[in-house]
Amino acid sequence: MKEFSADRLEELLDNVLKPSRYTGGEMNAVLKPFDAAEVTFAFCFPDSYEVGMSHLGIKILYDIINRRPWALCERVFMPWPDMADAMRREALPLFSIESRTPLSRFDIVGFTLQYEMSYTNVLEMLDLAGIPVYSRDRTEGPIIMAGGPCAYNPEPLAPFVDVFQIGDGEEMMVEAIECVRSCKQSGKSRLDTLRALARIEGIYVPAFYEAQYNADGTLASFSPVDDAAPATVRKRVVLDLDAAPYPESFIVPYTEAIHDRIVLEIMRGCTKGCRFCQAGMLYRPVRERSLETLLKQAEKLENATGYEEMSLSSLSSGDYSHLTELVCALTERYADRKISVSLPSMRIDSIVKQSLEEAQKVRKSGLTLAPEAGTQRMRDVINKGVTEADLIRAVTDAFESGWSTVKLYFMIGLPTETDEDLQGIGQLARDVINAYFTVPRGVRAKGLRVTCSASTFVPKPFTPFQWQGQDDLDTIKEKQARLGDILRQVKGVNFNWHEPELSMLEACFARGDRRMGDVLYAAWQNGCRMDGWTEFLNYEGWMKAFSDCGVDPAFYANRPRGEKELLPWDFIDAGVTRAFLWREWQKAQRAETTPDCRKGCQGCGLKRFEGVCADR
Amino acid sequence: MKMLVVFEKTERLRHVGHLDLMRAMQRALRRSGVPIAFSKGFNPHLLLTFAAPLSVGMSGLREVMEVPLSEAISESEFKEKLRAALPPELPCVAVRAVDDRHPAPMAQLYAASYKMSVKENAEALISAIPSFLEKDSVMALRKTKSGEKLTDIRPMIYDLKALDGETVACTLALCEAATCKPELLLDALAKEAGLEARPRVICARTQLYGRDFVPLELL
Ligand code: SF4
Repeated sequence: MKEFSADRLEELLDNVLKPSRYTGGEMNAVLKPFDAAEVTFAFCFPDSYEVGMSHLGIKILYDIINRRPWALCERVFMPWPDMADAMRREALPLFSIESRTPLSRFDIVGFTLQYEMSYTNVLEMLDLAGIPVYSRDRTEGPIIMAGGPCAYNPEPLAPFVDVFQIGDGEEMMVEAIECVRSCKQSGKSRLDTLRALARIEGIYVPAFYEAQYNADGTLASFSPVDDAAPATVRKRVVLDLDAAPYPESFIVPYTEAIHDRIVLEIMRGCTKGCRFCQAGMLYRPVRERSLETLLKQAEKLENATGYEEMSLSSLSSGDYSHLTELVCALTERYADRKISVSLPSMRIDSIVKQSLEEAQKVRKSGLTLAPEAGTQRMRDVINKGVTEADLIRAVTDAFESGWSTVKLYFMIGLPTETDEDLQGIGQLARDVINAYFTVPRGVRAKGLRVTCSASTFVPKPFTPFQWQGQDDLDTIKEKQARLGDILRQVKGVNFNWHEPELSMLEACFARGDRRMGDVLYAAWQNGCRMDGWTEFLNYEGWMKAFSDCGVDPAFYANRPRGEKELLPWDFIDAGVTRAFLWREWQKAQRAETTPDCRKGCQGCGLKRFEGVCADR
Repeated sequence: MKMLVVFEKTERLRHVGHLDLMRAMQRALRRSGVPIAFSKGFNPHLLLTFAAPLSVGMSGLREVMEVPLSEAISESEFKEKLRAALPPELPCVAVRAVDDRHPAPMAQLYAASYKMSVKENAEALISAIPSFLEKDSVMALRKTKSGEKLTDIRPMIYDLKALDGETVACTLALCEAATCKPELLLDALAKEAGLEARPRVICARTQLYGRDFVPLELL
């Protein structure tokens, strides 16, 4: 790699798409003298600037690290392919936005893993930085860390990442950078630094574990080979969310991010127990922020950013205890400053009509509902505690309050699915349209738009469906075509679906083991990157990687797992126990539901954590 | 009351495009707490206007925007508040309070001066300046609203000189009736120098002018 040349970079920037993705200088970006910091952390988001800047986790951790005078955190995003190619051609190493420092000069390079299809970008970013992608080839230079929801099954990335953080990062991140700081001060070797890190609860150092396989390819054993490494890695939980640090300012990007607004995290975790939902299981227990704290945060963030939009974030905002009060207070406070308040990921069983009316005082965005399945039986299988009557009541309320754009999210390929379930989706769409027409002409808004979006079910670790095989590609394609036919008969509905190939790859990584790392490497060598972007997905490159590595994708994606099989992520204690998940899996197959555990503990295992769910 | 604001967009921010800059200024004004006026209607927004958009890649040393206010505020207070709300790399240089009837800066625009630092073939380009200036007419293809048009740009070039071995300064027409973009001049000058392509330059707009070359913000 050549030395970093400012002039060369300027020349590149004049010739790439959206150069301001790389140039920074945004309001509230933290500029510290690089060389004065005792620990330097490059926070890498393995996707474009626009996607990464919309992400809440990066804002929280950027703030937590930079609050410490001795530490420095700067941002790095995956360069768009035109820029990546130009940098490689010119031998310009990947650099941080704030101080334009090459990644190889940082103490820690940390990736957040939000979705499996960003994994090739992790390798691409390391390589663009001139850092050897395999951990075993690194004897010096930054320690490569990773966290985020996908770190709960870290195995496909185990050959490339030195240190994984499992669970809430607020406290663990501080412990990790403090540990690196003291190791640096005492001149510890790379190996001893990794050992020190492995002793922090929630941290997993893959080099200290060994996996053995049976003749049929399943995992035979998985165990630590270093004294510093615990046999079980337990996720971290921030008990008191109200007291947890939250940024008082957000960086305000120039080029528009996907979500370019104030985000208030009102609650973490979810108690509904939807059986397909990994986030719902991983982020347990439920913790809320108080109304008072949120209003204070809103005020600070508004003064610091000047954003014209505020959104409430959580897995199920409708369950937040003070939702109505919060929405009313925010709307009232900010109406004269022309700030709109939006409520995403609304669950249809919890829509508060009053909130709807409050929210639309300022702006009326589309209503998004996720019934997930078309029949009551199927919704019982997935434990989506919602009835058709709930849904129709919710949309009717919305139509009466002036909404006219509705998006409905469904999944196909769920366990036990039959043709009847696909027809059910059509019926539900029809009922939504009928509900619109039952609202009198003068009351309802003009221009009804109903969109049905069908994604393909991907079985995820730490969910009751982790034992289920995904439908194979042909079956998924047949079901998509069938659903297309069904919805074509419903007048006024738009239908869209996800690339089934993408969902298949996602399934391979979601439940992959270390051997998927070789496939990942081969695919990246074949030119795969930015796989989450339809225009860049190189499916042939992936298929070639599988065959070159002698790996059958069906082994990971479509194969059902048995009760006794050792799963690659079993060594992680994510809070919910395997016994609970198995029990839920059995109930699912009988279409038996499990109630929301706010109404009574269902024994998921979280109570083993000190101070968790003590009141239930 | 309206406030004319002179600001600088240089260094790394030269890569920020016009729409992005506009949004950044709107947000800066919101967080500054100055009494800004909103438009009426369903989707209220700030009534902010820029004298002339800056293209992606071009710096601006003294750019002008007009901010309508809902209440009076002193120039010094306004400047202080806005400065605090802007990132260090986007400073507010000067402000001037004017009456609501003061004509919009955009309508008074007449010319702009530029400084180009020439990154390749500087010598050839600069040595072509004297003969270029001798010409009575320079025909160039100009993009207009109605398509490309062959125009004589010579009358739109008010000044052109080398500042040193790799910097060219010029003053060019910039108004509704006739605009000569610096790239257009550069193409013509490169042709005069016998160069095959326009050399790579980094360009800064140094000043906007009204009639008689009075700086726009003073008119
Ligand atoms: S321990 Fe009980 S109350 Fe707590 S999340 Fe699990 S099921 Fe719910």
